[in-house]
Amino acid sequence: MPYLGGEEAVRELRRALANPHVQADRLRYRAAVLRVIRHMAQGADVSGLFPEMVKASAAADVVQKKLVSLYVRAQAPRQPQLALLAVNTLRKDCSHPSPAVRGLALRSMCGLRMPGIQEYLQQPLLSGLRDKASYVRRAAVLGCAKMVKLQGDSEVDGALVNELYSLLRDQDPIVVVNCLRALEEILKKEGGVVINKPIAHHLLNRMADLDQWGQSEVLAFLLRYRPRSEEELFDILNLLDGYLKSSSPSVVMAATKLFLVLAREYPHVQADVLVRVKGPLLSACTSESRELCFTALCHVRQILGSLPGHFSSHYKKFFCSYSEPHYIKCQKMEVLCELVNDENVQQVLEELKGYCTDVSVELAQGAIFAIGNIARTYTEQCVGILTELLGLQQEHITSAVVQAFRDLVWLCPQCTAAVCRALPGCEDAIQDSEGKQALIWLLGAHGEKVPNAPYVLEEFVENVKSEMFPVVKMELLTALVRLFLSRPAECQDMLGRLLYYCIEEEMDMAVRDRGLFYYRLLQSGVEEVKRVLCGPTSDPSLGLLEDQTERPVNTWASEFNTLAPVYGRERWALVAAHEPPEPSYAYSPCTDSRNKDTESLISEGNEDVLKGHPDTGSLTLIPDVHLTAEQFEKTWLSLDMSCRLSLPWHGAVYPDAVQTALHVVHIQTIAMSKAGVQPWKAYLGAQDDTGCLFLTELLLEEADAGMQVSVKQSEARPEALQTFVSVLRTVMGTVAGLGS
Amino acid sequence: MGQGHHWRPFAVGLGPPWLRGPLPWVRATTGGHLLWVSGPSLWPLISRNYKGDVGLGEIENFMGLLLQREEEGTLAPLLTHGHVHFLWIKHANLYLVATTKKNGNASLVYSFLYKVVEVFCEYFKELEEESIRDNFVIVYELLDELMDFGFPQTTDSKILQEYITQEGNKLETGKSRVPTTVTNAVSWRSEGIRYKKNEVFIDVIESVNLLVSANGSVLLSEVVGTIKLKVFLSGMPELRLGLNDRVLFELTGRGTNKSVELEDVKFHQCVRLSRFDNDRTISFIPPDGDFELMSYRLHTQVKPLIWIESVIEKFSHSRVEIMVKAKGQFKKQSVANGVEIAVPVPSDADSPKFKTTVGSAKYLPEKNLVIWTIKSFPGGKEHLMRAHFGLPSVEKEEEEGRPPIAVRFEIPYFTVSGIQVTPAGSPGWCLQGGGDVTCGFSRVVAP
Repeated sequence: MPYLGGEEAVRELRRALANPHVQADRLRYRAAVLRVIRHMAQGADVSGLFPEMVKASAAADVVQKKLVSLYVRAQAPRQPQLALLAVNTLRKDCSHPSPAVRGLALRSMCGLRMPGIQEYLQQPLLSGLRDKASYVRRAAVLGCAKMVKLQGDSEVDGALVNELYSLLRDQDPIVVVNCLRALEEILKKEGGVVINKPIAHHLLNRMADLDQWGQSEVLAFLLRYRPRSEEELFDILNLLDGYLKSSSPSVVMAATKLFLVLAREYPHVQADVLVRVKGPLLSACTSESRELCFTALCHVRQILGSLPGHFSSHYKKFFCSYSEPHYIKCQKMEVLCELVNDENVQQVLEELKGYCTDVSVELAQGAIFAIGNIARTYTEQCVGILTELLGLQQEHITSAVVQAFRDLVWLCPQCTAAVCRALPGCEDAIQDSEGKQALIWLLGAHGEKVPNAPYVLEEFVENVKSEMFPVVKMELLTALVRLFLSRPAECQDMLGRLLYYCIEEEMDMAVRDRGLFYYRLLQSGVEEVKRVLCGPTSDPSLGLLEDQTERPVNTWASEFNTLAPVYGRERWALVAAHEPPEPSYAYSPCTDSRNKDTESLISEGNEDVLKGHPDTGSLTLIPDVHLTAEQFEKTWLSLDMSCRLSLPWHGAVYPDAVQTALHVVHIQTIAMSKAGVQPWKAYLGAQDDTGCLFLTELLLEEADAGMQVSVKQSEARPEALQTFVSVLRTVMGTVAGLGS
Repeated sequence: MGQGHHWRPFAVGLGPPWLRGPLPWVRATTGGHLLWVSGPSLWPLISRNYKGDVGLGEIENFMGLLLQREEEGTLAPLLTHGHVHFLWIKHANLYLVATTKKNGNASLVYSFLYKVVEVFCEYFKELEEESIRDNFVIVYELLDELMDFGFPQTTDSKILQEYITQEGNKLETGKSRVPTTVTNAVSWRSEGIRYKKNEVFIDVIESVNLLVSANGSVLLSEVVGTIKLKVFLSGMPELRLGLNDRVLFELTGRGTNKSVELEDVKFHQCVRLSRFDNDRTISFIPPDGDFELMSYRLHTQVKPLIWIESVIEKFSHSRVEIMVKAKGQFKKQSVANGVEIAVPVPSDADSPKFKTTVGSAKYLPEKNLVIWTIKSFPGGKEHLMRAHFGLPSVEKEEEEGRPPIAVRFEIPYFTVSGIQVTPAGSPGWCLQGGGDVTCGFSRVVAP
């Protein structure tokens, strides 16, 4: 919003601010300051008023001080010299008799994001930390974090850190939580605030005093603490039990996560926890806030992944209401798919069937796909419903049904006959590319069971010139060649026409190439075509099993109550690929000293740097470790996980390259999957000069999902572990670069 | 992830929902409410950058993303652009957006955004673009107190109201008291409160959630109740309340016929949970003024209190005829007050005509609804409304959904669950007020 007539207005404002009559009248003075702020908010350049504004902050009026501090914060980065003027007034305010003014001054001063401010901050902050008003201490504690953030890379002041640790005993609950937050920020490089036994116990005792934000955050900080004994563990769980039923959904979520993580070795406790939070989660799912409802639904899905029957008796809670937004309805349908069982399948299908005719195309198609999903288990009923829907002759419905059929036939071959009976007549109602592809695929793969299949395909061949989507043309080529094998007499002529068109007239290279490919293939004889096109397909049941295996709770406990489940697994993998995720350490968190420069050098293939790298840390890996597969397995099973992280990975794995690269840095490959196998796995062993073993598992579940790395260490030495991880990261980064 | 949740960087961008640009596709998403069109770009109404990690310019990406995803039909309350996650809620016509780069706790962020809305609403009655523009100073003051460096600080609006006041912006002269609450161990109540007349009012409000299928059978019924207190007491009073809770009655060996089995009971922060677990008494030091003491949920077979049946006959190109029958299925002694039955009608309907056996009907063309209002509706009675609308001869193209008929009413001195609240101890409080029932159907039969 461009601001017009700026200069005149600024001159006018300056006159007003400098007018002694205005200054004498508090209300008029404040109104003038307010006008400056309004101009600023509208995008006008009011930087010229700096001296007058700083003078205005010396007034006794607190609201006016706040307004000026808003102004100063916005302008300071542009005019650091002038900002020092403001600092003087603010420092004076730091010893004002009123705590509100002191707190405000501290907050404003620390909010000035400009270089060189730190030296002015130190003294007021230290006295702020000891202030008798908790309002000031709250601001001072967070002020410390702001100051350290401004300092950037320089050394962290140990005395300050100690002061903050001792303030964890403050009687004001917000000061306590702010201390944790500040320490976490200040000690980021050392892995954040350390939660040892006394601190953990102190926090546990203070939980009841905290507000919902404090409780949720402290519960998250407690994740870092490992109870020393079983007894202590269960004492903690008992102490915190009430928070599983808190009225705040964020506390419930945080408590659930803490319980699941603490009880990682007690599956029955985890199961109990999930039973206890069922009620709160269900009420969050019917919460008035759509967003909280959405978040809860996402977490319900996560739980269902491990305990498919968990919410089955509450299936009606997941029926959609008319007024809910689309994203909630989608989540609910997904949940319904996952909790369906013999008892509720009838009602669930009945409900989903209702959604299929919804005015919203997305919802209707979503419901059809959901029924298609359920059809994997309850095939007959679902195919019946889907077939019935075809009778409506609605474009989007028919398209979705045919797509659902295609996926279903692939996974449940027993329903092929029923699907083939339903197909005739669909072709008239389908317009979109997805639907056409599905229909053509079905006709090609199972055309021998559909009497009019060649005639439907012929229709497509006739109109191929006006076909918009190249993918549909390619699908048509494949389908027609396949159908030609089973019904040659009816197809030969049009196949010739199609091939002629694709090779001679088609403009899209991919389609043309595909046409040429089939043409040459056909030249090598029908037997050869059969061998290529009708060869054994992979066993579909495998994929299905993979999908339905119940994931143990521990595989997702650590990402519960983060953004990951809210995005959903696939989307999160995409989002996380954008930024290299921070590694999480099960024991003590340690520094992540990734060095960007080294990394870029190595990706150019500089092996000297690679070799030299291990020596730079406190870690020297010895070259010849003799570790047999049996020894490895035994040691692996006996150790706890030390560190788990995910490395970005795209495309295929080249095992030889990985093995060679690892060998260079003295990491031995114990066992490894072949290229192209999914999931791809490798087990690595290494030993340093003190005899500490590093055992590693690499796991690539699907291309582009990121390489999951799990490291176990025979002795708990966080520093060495961290260096080892960074070596591994560098090597894998280099090899990942090779793939693309 | 072992690192705790960080969701520090935070900026509240409140932008108007309509796009300030005459883009054709906006019409499709906002349903024709494109009345204010100006300027080529979109401007965040206010924003506060708490941590400095996420640039202000990011909010522009959010708006683009929001509209794009809405068009694709893949809108979600969590969006991402590059490294920045946007968590947003919508209130009236404002979007409140939190931005973060960390993988944090989503429910905490949403709860906080709702808290912000709640606080603003208590200050300005309504939170909308106007009230933000008019109360610009308070808004910034509040944003400053609610959060610091990306961490929630004082969010209790009662406490905030003690030191950030609207009057303060008109008159205040150097008043700079930070209330004792900010330093109190009991963070929800200030010390030194005095009343001449000490009073407590208790309100039990229950709403019934019913899911009714198209053939008229009740799929799901549940009661969601809240107990609200209005407290005008001096000093630091300790209150105790008892419930006719089944667990308690079984504990003490009393009969269970008049007891209620509560599920998923949630209390205000002030209630001592250990005490409730031990002997089921609710013991607490209340905040001053209005607050919600507890909420509960229970599953019981509830008959719909007001049963609606409707017949809608649509004669294309000419007219639509609607007949709605409402039947009170509660006790004859009780009376439902302020009954409002909202019947959706096609958006192109015109020239309404009504006939009702009781109450009055009104057509709200902007909402495509007929509202049938009945001031008092005794139990056991049955009422009828007939409506007649003309339809244009040229039919509009897009298909319309069939929204449900919604019913609102209150039945004083009646709770669906039969819950009873009794004061325990503290002699001399005066108990006034009664229970209210509000009921909403999420779906009602429509032929």
